Amino acid sequence: MLITMGIMTYGQSSDPMVGKCILNAGPDARYLKDFRVQLGKGPENGEPRFRAQMSLWKNTKYRFSMCNSEDSEGKLYLYLKDDANKVVLSSFDQKTGKTYSFIDFICNKSGIYQLSYDFSGGMKGSGVGVVSMIK
Amino acid sequence: MKGKSVLILFIALFLVSACRNSSKNSSEFVFPEADSVPVGEAEKLSAEAIADISRNIASPVEIANLLQTLSVPFSPDYLASSVDANNQPTAFDKALALGILGADLGYLNMYEKTGTSINILSDIRKLAEGLKVGQFFDFEALKKLSLNKSNLDSLLFLSIDSYNQIDKYLRENDRGHLSALMIIGVWLEGQHLATQVARQYPDPILKDRIGEQKIILNDLIMLASPYCTRDSEFDSLCKYLQDIKEKYREIKITYTLGEPVSVEKNGGLVVEQTETSNVEMTDAQLAAITEVTRNIRDRLVINN
Repeated sequence: MLITMGIMTYGQSSDPMVGKCILNAGPDARYLKDFRVQLGKGPENGEPRFRAQMSLWKNTKYRFSMCNSEDSEGKLYLYLKDDANKVVLSSFDQKTGKTYSFIDFICNKSGIYQLSYDFSGGMKGSGVGVVSMIK
Repeated sequence: MKGKSVLILFIALFLVSACRNSSKNSSEFVFPEADSVPVGEAEKLSAEAIADISRNIASPVEIANLLQTLSVPFSPDYLASSVDANNQPTAFDKALALGILGADLGYLNMYEKTGTSINILSDIRKLAEGLKVGQFFDFEALKKLSLNKSNLDSLLFLSIDSYNQIDKYLRENDRGHLSALMIIGVWLEGQHLATQVARQYPDPILKDRIGEQKIILNDLIMLASPYCTRDSEFDSLCKYLQDIKEKYREIKITYTLGEPVSVEKNGGLVVEQTETSNVEMTDAQLAAITEVTRNIRDRLVINN
């Protein structure tokens, strides 16, 4: 019942995929921001194409959730870089080829970070990246 | 003409980049020497750069979450209760108050103070309608969610999303000055909340969070800078921001290096950052920031 109400509420103001992705983040997660990512076919091993910035704060545990629409050809993944352009995390493991649908990040350095999203293999796709904090 | 525009855009982007990367080559964060983008250039900052700045402001929800983590009890004394939504004569007043009340709404929502949040929602509605952006708030849904405490996440989403939509709409419709005011209002009220709580409940984590605001203060100043000469209200606001900046000048933020550590857990990945930021701020510096923040915030709220 509560889940249904949640989906309806999110659906009223935005597209349902955002609402669904926020719910997927789990009951211990508090919504902060979302990024709607829609990309066409790109280079297979190129840099992630969708970029945004946000501040992340020390002593906070964040959850980055990635959701795809059903017709996406690739899976949405995230690279997080700090303000020195150092990769702090990636939801795509290049060694195993595995893509994680969520990453919890224990932030110990406050600053402005760059979030870079793309779909695996540079495929076309549509998805949502949600940033929450964990209580 | 086109070449000139490209050059201006390049200069503006370079300056934004210079601000962002100020900590790169040293282990300390310092304000860039060029404190703000020159007026003409700043007005031409790309929409993307401005959107980034607006996203970089700490969400009041994050500050409220920190206060809850520190077991700080809720207090209505921190709220901007003297803001009268019916008595905001100018668009400047309305937009700034909209930001201030937005931060209060985040604080109330996190503490699930539904009665008060409904009153604030009603004020937000009046202000939003006064700025002709009321269409972005679904007040009935927000009211219902406020009363239904089990839907906190939906409430947060709808509130934040409404503010984001207003921000975007204003920027896209040549009313970027109002968007800047709203963002500055949110930040100022969040800063006021954090500093007032720190006075009553001193805690090193909260103290650090206040000190770390130095990282984004320059962005706020840059956001306001194209409008500083617009009218006397903006002129005062820009001076206020500079006053706050002065109090932050000697605060040091240093960094220690480290590599992130990852482990797989419950099908996801948990990454712990071992690189750290450290704030060096004396109690006297904190007191000065608290005082300047309170003076400015009260002046703006009372003027409202």
